[in-house]
Amino acid sequence: MAAGAAPAVSDADVVERVLEGDVEAYGVLVERYRAAFGRFAVGLCGDADLAADAMQEAFIRAFDALATCERPDRFGAWFHRILRNQCVNHRTRRRPHELLDEVQVAAPHRTDERLRRAEIRAAIQRAIDELTREQREAFVLRHLEGRPYGEMADLLGEREDTLRTRVHRARDLVRRRLEGLL
Amino acid sequence: MNDDAWTNDAQRFLDGDGDPPADADERARAGRFAAEVAMYAADLDVPSADLDARVLAAVRARAARRAWWRWFVRPHRLVIRPALAAAAAVVLVVLSAGVARMIGPGAPPVPAPSASGSDGVLVRFEFVAPAAHRVSLAGSFNGWNDSTLTFSHGTQAGVWTVTVALPPGEYQYLFVVDGERWIPDPTAHAQVKDEFGQTNSLLVVGPRGVVRS
Repeated sequence: MAAGAAPAVSDADVVERVLEGDVEAYGVLVERYRAAFGRFAVGLCGDADLAADAMQEAFIRAFDALATCERPDRFGAWFHRILRNQCVNHRTRRRPHELLDEVQVAAPHRTDERLRRAEIRAAIQRAIDELTREQREAFVLRHLEGRPYGEMADLLGEREDTLRTRVHRARDLVRRRLEGLL
Repeated sequence: MNDDAWTNDAQRFLDGDGDPPADADERARAGRFAAEVAMYAADLDVPSADLDARVLAAVRARAARRAWWRWFVRPHRLVIRPALAAAAAVVLVVLSAGVARMIGPGAPPVPAPSASGSDGVLVRFEFVAPAAHRVSLAGSFNGWNDSTLTFSHGTQAGVWTVTVALPPGEYQYLFVVDGERWIPDPTAHAQVKDEFGQTNSLLVVGPRGVVRS
């Protein structure tokens, strides 16, 4: 066999197989994009269980609408839009996050350092909750997923300088919420 | 310095576009901020592989319903020879009587999903290498080239995966860690020696899936 004759399966190849009736091939996309966007979903939903539900629903909706995916080679960006909407919907079902006082009461055995870490984690979560939807998406993609601005612009369909401004404003707010903890 | 906002230097630094801020306090604060947010991200409980099974179960069920519906709405041509008219009439009566059952859960058979398509069988390779920075796949299917098939990170720490479409056949392969170490697949069904005495992992792909790996 010639060198390079077995490239890693592209999104477009998998989409084509699924549309031809190979349902099992959809598992390739599920694994690929669960790994790629899992942190984004949790960051946006603010809750691991809700994020898993949102992601499951998004994958099923994407499967149902797969024939309408006009650019199968850009399945990831297309799925990302579906996932964003599902995360926004699921976020409204979230219970209020536990208050910092509850963290302290529930974990009296924690060392000072672990307690400090829990405080910072709770403060970051609260700060992310207070961001606007656009700021939250940008902050999560940049800081929780570590994506470069070019990739963010591609996923969100926005200009890079717009996203940079959103991340900067989000960062200022998170900084204020972490005042005294850093 | 505005205590409520990052300086422009700090913003550029946190964007990865500039040097650390000149001001020592701001530099230290920006460094701690980046570290704390990175730890927060690392601690997030991301969806696990269990999700894949749930999604696939759901889409299999949907595909089965679609297949039934396609069969139901497709025009069917029924040819009845005069000599078989009586038998055909009986069949039609039976079919009519069975309509209610057909609408119920007893759907017609759905073609079994096939892993094999025109471009080969989808084969997923997985390798656990927590300390690796890059893992690639080299084998007889890509001319032992270690740069064409690069693994991606799974959601589990240290787990690397790549999926490849392979025509049916027998293949030998190795995992290449950080471009230096060529390692047999520890989960392979068989390892074989090549003409140079090198141990390779063996993979046998049949028309309907992996026969031996």
